[in-house]
Amino acid sequence: MATISSSTRCCSSSLAYSNSSYIGFHHHQKNVPFSLVSPNRLGSKRVSLQSKSNPYSNVIIMQDGAVGTTAATVENKAPLKKLKDGLSSVTSPKEHKEPIEVGVNSDKSTVSITVVGASGDLAKKKIFPALFALYYEDCLPEHFTIFGYSRSKMTDAELRNMVSKTLTCRIDKRENCGEKMEQFLKRCFYQSGQYDSQENFMELDKTLKEHEAGRVSNRLFYLSIPPNIFVDAVRCASLSASASNGWTRVIVEKPFGRDSESSAALTRALKQYLEEDQIFRIDHYLGKELVENLSVLRFSNLIFEPLWSRQYIRNVQLIFSEDFGTEGRGGYFDHYGIIRDIMQNHLLQILALFAMETPVSLDAEDIRNEKVKVLRSMKPLRIDDVVVGQYKSHTKGGVIYPGYTDDKTVPKDSLTPTFAAAALFIDNARWDGVPFLMKAGKALHNRRTEIRVQFRHVPGNLYNRNFGTDLDQATNELVIRVQPDEAIYLKINNKVPGLGMRLDRSNLNLLYKARYSKEIPDAYERLLLDAIEGERRLFIRSDELDAAWSLFTPVLKELEEKRTFPEYYPYGSRGPVGAYYLAARHNVKWGDLGVDE
Amino acid sequence: MATLRGTTLLVFLGVLLVLLSTFRCEAADKDDGDQFFFGGLSKAKDPAVEPNIEANKLSHCSSSSTTFSSLHHETSYFSKWVTEIHFRRQLRNHFELKSANGFPLNAVPMQDGSVAKPLEEEVPFPEFGETKSMLSITVVGASGDLAKKKIFPALFALYYEDWLPENFVVYGYARTKMTDEELRNMISKTLTCRIDRRENCQAKMEEFLKRCFYHSGQYNSPEDFLELNCKLKEREGGKLSNRLFYLSIPPNIFVDVVRCASTKASSTTGWTRVIVEKPFGRDSESSRELTKCLMQYLTEDQIFRIDHYLGKELVENLSVLRFSNLVFEPLWSRNYIRNVQFIFSEDFGTEGRGGYFDNYGIIRDIMQNHLLQILALFAMETPVSLDAEDTRNEKVKVLKSMKPLQLEDVIVGQYKGHSKGGKSYPGYIDDPTVPKDSVTPTFAAAALFINNARWDGVPFLMKAGKALHTKRAEIRVQFRHVPGNLYKRNFGTDLDKATNELVLRLQPDEAIYLKVNNKVPGLGMRLDRSDLNLLYRTRYTREIPDAYERLLLDAIEGERRLFIRSDELDAAWTLFTPLLKEMEEKKIMPELYPYGSRGPVGAHYLAAKHDVRWGDLTGED
Repeated sequence: MATISSSTRCCSSSLAYSNSSYIGFHHHQKNVPFSLVSPNRLGSKRVSLQSKSNPYSNVIIMQDGAVGTTAATVENKAPLKKLKDGLSSVTSPKEHKEPIEVGVNSDKSTVSITVVGASGDLAKKKIFPALFALYYEDCLPEHFTIFGYSRSKMTDAELRNMVSKTLTCRIDKRENCGEKMEQFLKRCFYQSGQYDSQENFMELDKTLKEHEAGRVSNRLFYLSIPPNIFVDAVRCASLSASASNGWTRVIVEKPFGRDSESSAALTRALKQYLEEDQIFRIDHYLGKELVENLSVLRFSNLIFEPLWSRQYIRNVQLIFSEDFGTEGRGGYFDHYGIIRDIMQNHLLQILALFAMETPVSLDAEDIRNEKVKVLRSMKPLRIDDVVVGQYKSHTKGGVIYPGYTDDKTVPKDSLTPTFAAAALFIDNARWDGVPFLMKAGKALHNRRTEIRVQFRHVPGNLYNRNFGTDLDQATNELVIRVQPDEAIYLKINNKVPGLGMRLDRSNLNLLYKARYSKEIPDAYERLLLDAIEGERRLFIRSDELDAAWSLFTPVLKELEEKRTFPEYYPYGSRGPVGAYYLAARHNVKWGDLGVDE
Repeated sequence: MATLRGTTLLVFLGVLLVLLSTFRCEAADKDDGDQFFFGGLSKAKDPAVEPNIEANKLSHCSSSSTTFSSLHHETSYFSKWVTEIHFRRQLRNHFELKSANGFPLNAVPMQDGSVAKPLEEEVPFPEFGETKSMLSITVVGASGDLAKKKIFPALFALYYEDWLPENFVVYGYARTKMTDEELRNMISKTLTCRIDRRENCQAKMEEFLKRCFYHSGQYNSPEDFLELNCKLKEREGGKLSNRLFYLSIPPNIFVDVVRCASTKASSTTGWTRVIVEKPFGRDSESSRELTKCLMQYLTEDQIFRIDHYLGKELVENLSVLRFSNLVFEPLWSRNYIRNVQFIFSEDFGTEGRGGYFDNYGIIRDIMQNHLLQILALFAMETPVSLDAEDTRNEKVKVLKSMKPLQLEDVIVGQYKGHSKGGKSYPGYIDDPTVPKDSVTPTFAAAALFINNARWDGVPFLMKAGKALHTKRAEIRVQFRHVPGNLYKRNFGTDLDKATNELVLRLQPDEAIYLKVNNKVPGLGMRLDRSDLNLLYRTRYTREIPDAYERLLLDAIEGERRLFIRSDELDAAWTLFTPLLKEMEEKKIMPELYPYGSRGPVGAHYLAAKHDVRWGDLTGED
């Protein structure tokens, strides 16, 4: 369904997602609300709506394909939604199966990408550059326009000027870059307006219409705004600026609430205006090359298949570390803390991808179904299985690195963890008893994200008796380094060449830099392209989100209620020692802090 | 292992040459390296052994035509030769003899251990001021090519790296008349220093050369060996003596030398070991005959049959990979492995030295020994321990689970002349040392099967050839396809072809790599095969020792793991003999292939028949 889009012209995207020809999906959401409230009351921030049933629970409905078939069902129960879905001009599902966005009939359709919060940091640093990169690589459809929307007054030229500062060319093919940039900027426009003003969005709609010039209009809204105005913007956009005859999709960024309740409330509020399949919750870690490759490794290499279970895997470690602190921008962070900011979303998502059963297919719903199953097989995190830390100031080589609470934007008495380690367990047949360890921290000694799979020891190892080293410690380890310097390596025991019989651990190595000379696209490029193409695989479904929060909410509450003190660690250190004890309790050694790393 | 490592260099002793300068056996015999038979062809010429029935049996084993008078002394002890010759206390500590298949050896006490014990407390001999034992290494055939190119350099390397015992001497033995000085001069030309640590290399070389001596003699003369024995004794100066004989000589004189050496120059106090090099016969019968003859003079545990491929770093590492890495364990069977390939190729031909080769052919020269040994190591079950006997027991089991090779599972080839870039490369039969009508294969490919629970139905393909486009030896393990591959439907390429593959490159440029399917970075979803790589050169900067170094050291240390036991050898020949016979009887014509090419296309058809693709000819490598 319309997912092929630009693939014929986008050199690198090829036919990747072309077979996502499912019609509907099962959706596990039990509490999808439908609105009994009048629209104008929805402006409040935390709407908590009661819902009795979910009209879509089984027959949902890809809006760009199958909506027409189910429209009748929807109609009775949710008249409001129907309107904003643009169902007034329902196209037949059959027609939609034809790749309407493909080059041949591309003159008939257009995509407008509206970046809501265009003057913000994320927009400048990530979104516009990613859009340009897609354009530069011919991945965008022929007709597209980009709209910046925010409260600041700005002209198109000013926006273009602002945007142009952060655009970069691919390292490996610079030809025509300047030219391409010009062309891209010509397609960028600006519309200023309030985030909660339907009138302003109506004006946006008018401008969009002009640019669409009667073509089939597809609209993508990227909400690059603080979470407290998500719902306002969604309401206005969906009510006043939805596409009238194509699709309308909304990309939202974390945070998606700060616990089960607030997240559920947010989801309910979004669902008043959007269908599940219009919501694209971004977790940009899922767009990272090596996270994408994780499934490829697992499912297209026979050699990993027998290994992927409790029988061979002793533990799995998901490690995130940054070598800088909040650096004067702790306001947002202090409200969330590292567990919400990194663990509950990024690391947990990777965990789910890692641990899931083989999906029926690579279709988004099949994959997300499997991921949800993993999350639901997990027990909520217990407080004894968590260690939290906070960095303190540290002086090294005459430079003073400030502590977390030295940050002016952070309350002096803040207990917000900037480091956390946790042990999780999946209670299913494949993973029972295997510790999944997570570790995330700021202001540590290095910057790195990686997945480490430690295998069990070789039972009855022949070489154990002969050679001093304890081979039961020197087990195999598969490391997938997500960033920086993408790499995959497998630590194996090997004979040190020479006349003796000494073993050591060597790596079977795949360093991306050495193997692939092409620049690896930023995660945002992939995710934006997927959203445009309607590929939902890498976005988080409501039920996934809900399941993820269920795991972390109890422990987060307990930490806050008990005012648990974080263990302090110096800026630039390896983090609090508590992490070692947590690992030790589960008979694990952190792979990233071993001697051979 | 490294128990014998000597720490410092010893004071060199001023004991010098004794006057054994007159030799009785002046008649140079006319061994022709190219034709020899282990059958009793020469029996009739050997009148000395006629009268004795036992000796008659023996005579199969003495192939050389020269007569010598003292034969009587030994011939009466054909199985247990507790020799009581006129020389003093020729007492062998061991004679656990004639175990037909070598198995009883498990029960044999290590001869070096049991003997050394009582001497341990002993006070060092005065003139050496130090340790109580002395190792003498006698290279029989010292003037030959192998000795010059491999053995002496390997010995020096061992010395250089302090692996040799403190007291040792190296003796060259050959027919050529030569002084110690001349030998030293000859050897010194081929000694090299380790690339990575050159310090003191010259000094070490000098010191090493000072320990090298020469003794000239006939290979079949007990007297000459007796003289050698005298010299050795002097050097040993009463120490516990351990003696290693390296037979670097043509196979037709193996038995003569072994007879002479063991009867006349065996150590009386320590161990005596003999290293022999291939060929070990040319079929089951001749090999058995050779073994039988050797066993008249030696016990199984004195015979060290070298297969220098087993000394290669990556062959050694094969077992380490298998048995000390959990990740390979579940994969190592028919469930996951589709086929295994053993590939040997040389980029040169016989180059004027085809005389020996023509009598053997590539199957005997490479497949039946090197490749089959690697196969056995690859496929064996986990041994009880790393001990030599445990490992070799498992290897024999593999060989015995295999069916003899069928003619239809083999293709043979021979290289022909080829001109490239104005240069013409000669064909095999253009070699003046090769008969013009020779049908000896210089290339062969074969499919073998192991009929056991682990490997049933998995083709083990071998390929070996001379004058091909590359020089390389490698093991390739191709895994099965991913059942129900999720990525298959989407992406043009046939992922069932792009299966995982583990490659162990033995030479050149030792490496291990595992081909995995990987996503090509980028926005699309294209897969390709990348390598998880371990290139030794980049990981290990130290020079990798030559196979001979390892094997010599193992022989010195009595580590038999990498040497071929009699029953292994026999089992290996059993697999190949029927085929070799059939080929010779039917005079199967080899498929001709141009010098420097990828070999005869028949190899592809053979592979195709077993649903295999050669991993080395895919264009990827």
